[in-house]
Amino acid sequence: MRIRFPSRIRFPSRIRFPSRIRFPSRIVAPPRVVAPPRVGAPPRRAFLADLGLGFTGLALGAMLSRDGVGSPAAWLPPDGRPHFTPKAKSVIWLFMNGGVSHLESFDHKPEVTKHAGKTIAETPYADVQNPAKLALERAPVPDANGLQRNVLYPLQTSFRRHGQSGMEISDFFPHTARNADRIAVVRSMWTTDSNHGAQTQFHTGRHMLDPVQPTLGGWVHYGLGSVNDDLPQFISIGTREYWNRKDGMYLGPAHDAVPLRIDPANPLDFGHPQRPFAPEAQRIGFDLVGHLNRQTSIEYPDDPATAARIASYELAFRMQHSVPKVVDFADETEETQRLYGLDLPHCRDFGMQLLAARRFVERGVRFIQIQHGGGGAGAWDAHGGLKANHQGLSLAVDQPIGGLLEDLARRGLLDETIVLFASEFGRTPGTQGADGRDHHPFAFSVWMAGGGIKGGVVHGATDELGFHAVEDRHYVTDIHATILKALGLDSRTLEIPGRKRLAIDHGTPIDAIMA
Amino acid sequence: MTTVRAATSTMLAVWAALLCAAALPAADASAPALLWSDGLKKVFADRCFACHGSLAQQAGLRVDTAAALVAGGASGQVVVPGDPEAGSLLARVTHPDPAERMPPEGEGEPLSPAEIETLKAWIAAGCPAPPDEQPERDPRDHWAFRPRVRPVVPAVAHPDRVRNPIDAFLEDARGRAGIAPQPEAPRQLLVRRLYFDLVGLPPTHEELSALLADTSPDWYELLVERLLADPRHGERWGRHWMDVWRYADWWGLGDQLRNSQKHIWHWRDWIIESLNDDTGYDEMVRLMLAADELHPDDLPKLRATGFLARNWFLFNRTPWMDETVEHVSKGLLGLTMNCAKCHDHKYDPLRQEDYYRLRAFFEPLHARIDVLPGEPDLEKDGIARIFDGVPEVVTYRFIRGEDQRPDTSRPILPGVPAPLAPHEIMILPVALPKSESEPERRPWVIEAHVAQAQRHLDAASAAHAATPTPLTEQAVAVTVAELAAVERRGTAMRSAWAVEDSSGVAADDPRQVAAKESAAEAVRAERQLVAVRAQGTLLESEVKLAAASDDAKAAFEKVVADSRNAYEQALTAVAQPGEAFTPLVGARWTPTRFRNSSADDPTVPFPTTSTGRRSALAGWITDSRNPLTARVAANHIWARHMGQPLVATVFDFGRKGTPPSHPELLDWLASELVEGTAAGPHAKPWSMKRIHRLIVNSAAYRASSSTAGNPEALRIDADNRLVWRREPVRLESEVIRDGVLALAGMLDTRIGGAPVPAGEQAASTRRSLYFHHTDPDRNAFLVTFDGAGVKECYERERSIVPQQALALANAGFVHDAAARIAAGIEAQTRQRGLGSEDSTFLDVAFRTVLGRPPQAAEAAASTAAVGRWRNLEPAPADGSVEPARIHLVWALLNHTDFVTLR
Repeated sequence: MRIRFPSRIRFPSRIRFPSRIRFPSRIVAPPRVVAPPRVGAPPRRAFLADLGLGFTGLALGAMLSRDGVGSPAAWLPPDGRPHFTPKAKSVIWLFMNGGVSHLESFDHKPEVTKHAGKTIAETPYADVQNPAKLALERAPVPDANGLQRNVLYPLQTSFRRHGQSGMEISDFFPHTARNADRIAVVRSMWTTDSNHGAQTQFHTGRHMLDPVQPTLGGWVHYGLGSVNDDLPQFISIGTREYWNRKDGMYLGPAHDAVPLRIDPANPLDFGHPQRPFAPEAQRIGFDLVGHLNRQTSIEYPDDPATAARIASYELAFRMQHSVPKVVDFADETEETQRLYGLDLPHCRDFGMQLLAARRFVERGVRFIQIQHGGGGAGAWDAHGGLKANHQGLSLAVDQPIGGLLEDLARRGLLDETIVLFASEFGRTPGTQGADGRDHHPFAFSVWMAGGGIKGGVVHGATDELGFHAVEDRHYVTDIHATILKALGLDSRTLEIPGRKRLAIDHGTPIDAIMA
Repeated sequence: MTTVRAATSTMLAVWAALLCAAALPAADASAPALLWSDGLKKVFADRCFACHGSLAQQAGLRVDTAAALVAGGASGQVVVPGDPEAGSLLARVTHPDPAERMPPEGEGEPLSPAEIETLKAWIAAGCPAPPDEQPERDPRDHWAFRPRVRPVVPAVAHPDRVRNPIDAFLEDARGRAGIAPQPEAPRQLLVRRLYFDLVGLPPTHEELSALLADTSPDWYELLVERLLADPRHGERWGRHWMDVWRYADWWGLGDQLRNSQKHIWHWRDWIIESLNDDTGYDEMVRLMLAADELHPDDLPKLRATGFLARNWFLFNRTPWMDETVEHVSKGLLGLTMNCAKCHDHKYDPLRQEDYYRLRAFFEPLHARIDVLPGEPDLEKDGIARIFDGVPEVVTYRFIRGEDQRPDTSRPILPGVPAPLAPHEIMILPVALPKSESEPERRPWVIEAHVAQAQRHLDAASAAHAATPTPLTEQAVAVTVAELAAVERRGTAMRSAWAVEDSSGVAADDPRQVAAKESAAEAVRAERQLVAVRAQGTLLESEVKLAAASDDAKAAFEKVVADSRNAYEQALTAVAQPGEAFTPLVGARWTPTRFRNSSADDPTVPFPTTSTGRRSALAGWITDSRNPLTARVAANHIWARHMGQPLVATVFDFGRKGTPPSHPELLDWLASELVEGTAAGPHAKPWSMKRIHRLIVNSAAYRASSSTAGNPEALRIDADNRLVWRREPVRLESEVIRDGVLALAGMLDTRIGGAPVPAGEQAASTRRSLYFHHTDPDRNAFLVTFDGAGVKECYERERSIVPQQALALANAGFVHDAAARIAAGIEAQTRQRGLGSEDSTFLDVAFRTVLGRPPQAAEAAASTAAVGRWRNLEPAPADGSVEPARIHLVWALLNHTDFVTLR
């Protein structure tokens, strides 16, 4: 069932159309204005009018259901309010493209080094390659990667215990490690795609051979309104290498992430006039467009599309000015900038993205999705030269991440922001070529921190080789469910009639790591 | 006393159930029957009816009425009224083992605790139900599955509201609701509608002025005919059908093709041409599904099979087949067959096996590219098409839809769902002409290869003539050898065919002798080419050696030695006899990698017969007795003209879909499409132009879209389901971009050709449907305005988001166009002697961009803005258009009425 934004949205006359509403940044989304289904009209559509409270929400203003897709009484589109008391209001989603080795980051497996050079079959753990245990891997895209790698490759870095929790974290991530007591590591993740389609899978919960689903960010955007009417509510920063760029899918393009660049001069597509057009002249132009459109709305009094378009132009004009300000760090202290590594060439780019993320969170943006590592199917895809690869890339991301956690914490924002660090899969204990690791869907690690998440927690475990997740196994949608729960959303309530989701799409919240 | 207490506890249980059954609508406890009819029945409908209702009665059990549930199934009673502990139902729905629990795993979610409590309470209350409860109707009796019968056009009370039978059907429904339609829209809006709707571009100011001045009574009808005959009509409606038929250009990783096919744009051009020729809808469907069987060797028609080649997927047959099954069903039949991939369809009479029976029609498919006259390089051009490459591959049902779990106990044969089959289908193998299995026999193939070699020779000669060097001389030698080799191979091929095509040619027959000789010559020529090339390599390496520095000399000496060695070997080979030459290529199989290795699969040869499966399927789909095909097509056409479909779920005409708002109108339109009895042009069966003509000539199409002056209709039917006014329609993204360029006279009007790659789109002025269309590199402007989805696009989104405002306000081409439009208006007013006042400019600008003059308030606001702009940026001294006027045009392009068809 395609949900579309109708050209017909009826605003009850007694509701005034606010041109702009400001909310203090710490307030959870206010209820949107719900226009009840009209009495006496054909029971055809259930409307929700979001009168300009949201960015993308604004205008669209409304969503509709169709006849036959449940009776209007049974189904209403989300009203922008959480379904239960939320613990967090924003998400910073850090995704490392290509596949971070769990063995060189958050899952210490000394047995791999101990048996290095042996085939897995020669170790006491030969059973990990029992075909029955490999069966979850599903119809991969075969390109000579994503295969079984039999000869164990020693760990390429050392591990140390950190914080009061004594969490083991590799020496590639010292700044993250400093925050060990703020994060909850899940070491027992699994997925099914042994190739980079797993990137899409991590975001949508579905294998690339399945019908494409909305991404988690799309669902959050769909389910929760906005707390800021000057900024996009779902932002994508950084390169997406391998996965479909449409987040909203059947929720509609209004729920796609808005791609942003951390460049105050040019942060948005079409974010400034592509031909000379002085700001004052443009202001006159937007005013005239608004004026003329209001004339039209007199002649076509019941055309909500015109009302929505008027509001969208007003927002667009503001966005042109508000977005560059967020990605302009002139008002950040030097100390803060250093905290994110902006003074260091190797982590400046990622540091700027994370600092921008914090600034967006401060302004109430819901979901900031940051992808790290371009090139090929993702920079972390260390089929060869793993040590140099992970050393260099962790140097680029680790200090900014540590800085982000500390900066959020000291500003009191960490309590209401979830930070996720993830990748599409782990990497094989066995070596690929001389010095690489291949794709490994059977086990990998992610961590979360912030609102609703316990700190200093390690959850789940892999076997001695880090081959299979064996304790408290979690499919990727359990991460989705955890985040949705922290945001106060129930994914089953968000479901759209006619777009049946499966139990595995919904996942189960990982309560063990939730505060 | 005991009885009373029992009754009381029953009532308490009912209340308790109500209190915890938050998901269920509240029922009146004084009527426990409502527990069933308002609550449990819905739960059962979602979870149980598919197997225990009208579609199927597994274990002999139906649960679609309380009486049937109480009656039980083959194993006896499943509920005992009044006694929740007796009967197996509660035990089954609460069973801890998922294998025993109902509904079975994967078929539906288990009942919630609240639902189970309600069920208990209802059983305890004695399973009460409304007295007149009806079982589910036979699914075959669903409106869309019943044969289509041409309805009688109703007589109406207001014949003045009727321009053609469409209006009679609409007026009939409106009359029953007691509402009147809106009057006709002003002529200027009608003209704008017809242009955008039929050719996808705005009228020029001159065209509009002429039409407004036209006093003939049939100006409208004449305009309709003119626009339907306009070749831009095929581009406009081509894009619509490309949405439905899922046009997508090729996609891959780097140069590696992974999805769709290279040069698939020939299919797009075929769509445009076919629509302009008014090729019947049935014929278009037949060709898209089976042109290779129906018209083998007819390359122009074979383009149509891009419809199937588009789903090609490098790594795995199943996604290719899944997309084909899903979208043949949704797009052509309005069936959600995809819902039956893992289990029987929950709503429609489609068994899981039907899914795989439909897949079996397509199972033998592979894709290939055929050489076109004049271009033998298949990377540069060629016809992307399908063929039955692997007829021996067996289709199996996948258990629970999992492709690792085929049910190999029973092969699945091609077939259509029995309840929908209006007639038997017969599958007969199709013998293919030789030119299909040996495409190099096509008369232009050898010519094309020779011409290409000649072009190479000409280019090398020209380069040598310009600046002769030893290397250019060598290059000429290579191309001479190449031409000779190509010619000799062509000769050898013709000689071989001469033998092959006549029976009983003796070994000493001159033809046989000639064939052997020409083959030997071809071999020699090929080897000579290798030798000349090796000579060239040697020469190049010697040149490099001569230029090398001392410390690099050793390395280059090694290269020279290797090259010399290769050259000498090649020379030796020339002297040796041989008969196996490389034939020139007439088509190339598109290699798949289904075998899960990183190498191409073994080449699939071109067969001499085709299975005939797809032509049989195409015959069934396009049979006039098929209840779905014409209804689905008519609904698509109606929706794109009128702004909302008659059947809201355009790809689901099944029982889960929405019933038509005007069933008789839909059937009448479908009948008109198939039979074509309406008088006038386009009388042939399945003519789409006839349907366009009917719809746009209706009073409904011509009505105003405003609600003003009709509060009664607005009160009764705010959603306009009764079509008492026209829907305002937001233009599609392509039309917005094309329209801006057209108004500025910047639009490149060439029809067809290779798509504009992503990197060239910003500077391109071609119509948007020619932009390379695939997911990773979609054009940002088009995407912002809800451009066609690549995976599925049965209806366009119509979002209104600020990014659209940014795109239209800031895109460079909009500013460029505004300047051109403003200059054009000034030139025009000068030419017509209208004066250069702002008021004149304003009037023409409104008419040009919005198709209407400004109203007083609009003129005042615009004049004021022009004044403010003028203060900021004075008029340039050179007399070119002043910025203030350009900005005014920019503002009109951003006007809601520019992107809206009122």
